[in-house]
Amino acid sequence: MMRDVIAAPRPGLDFRRHYGHHQSPAIRAGGLIFCSGMLAIDPETGERRHGTLTEEAHCIFGNLKLLLESAGSSLDRLVQVHALIYDSIEYDVLNRVYRQYVAGGPPARTVWTAQSEAGFKIQLDVIAAA
Amino acid sequence: MARTIVSPPPDLDIAAALGQPASTLVRGGPFLFVSGLAAIDPATGQRLRGPIMTETRVVLTALKQMLEAAGSSLDKVVKVNVLMASMLEATPMNDVYAEFFPDPPPARTVCGARLPDGCRIMIECTALA
Repeated sequence: MMRDVIAAPRPGLDFRRHYGHHQSPAIRAGGLIFCSGMLAIDPETGERRHGTLTEEAHCIFGNLKLLLESAGSSLDRLVQVHALIYDSIEYDVLNRVYRQYVAGGPPARTVWTAQSEAGFKIQLDVIAAA
Repeated sequence: MARTIVSPPPDLDIAAALGQPASTLVRGGPFLFVSGLAAIDPATGQRLRGPIMTETRVVLTALKQMLEAAGSSLDKVVKVNVLMASMLEATPMNDVYAEFFPDPPPARTVCGARLPDGCRIMIECTALA
């Protein structure tokens, strides 16, 4: 069985080009799509779009939709989500924005506190059905 | 469908060296799941405490060897999670990391976390078996 590399669907989403990170945007293998950690990045320019946790989450879900749909999947096919947030005090803030994107039946999810690069408030680490 | 616990070479059984109730490698479906690996000196079985580039190189060398012993390889890795004691060390980690993984590389998530036993880095991954 082979793995397929999913290319960046927009120029800004190529982290390797913009930030030198040695990673592909996503890999498809075994019926699943494994995405690299998603951050609030402008999908056209690659610039960081720091904001409130809510603003960053909207940006991330927009990017995730572009990435999954370019790979023939979608937000409705998410299987598992790891939500890494900077402070658990924003747990309810996360839930309020998150709920808007998983209306079709939410995937399995774990939330914990961790530091993301460059001071981002949230990072989503996801697996979707191909 | 059954899962299979895959035995790594004895000097690379890092989950056991850390005293964890965990298997280092487990096969399930088409995938091989690898436990979070810390830097262990394969000669002594002791934690190797080095600067970030050393710990990263020791962990990735062990990962490469155990995947190959299990019939997989670094170019079959689909996803890597890198947990770091300090995100300030992400750039030197990335430099060493790029020496090991092929082009195009696997998907990856990097985050800062509080790690046990003074580890600077832990790396877990999922590969095609």
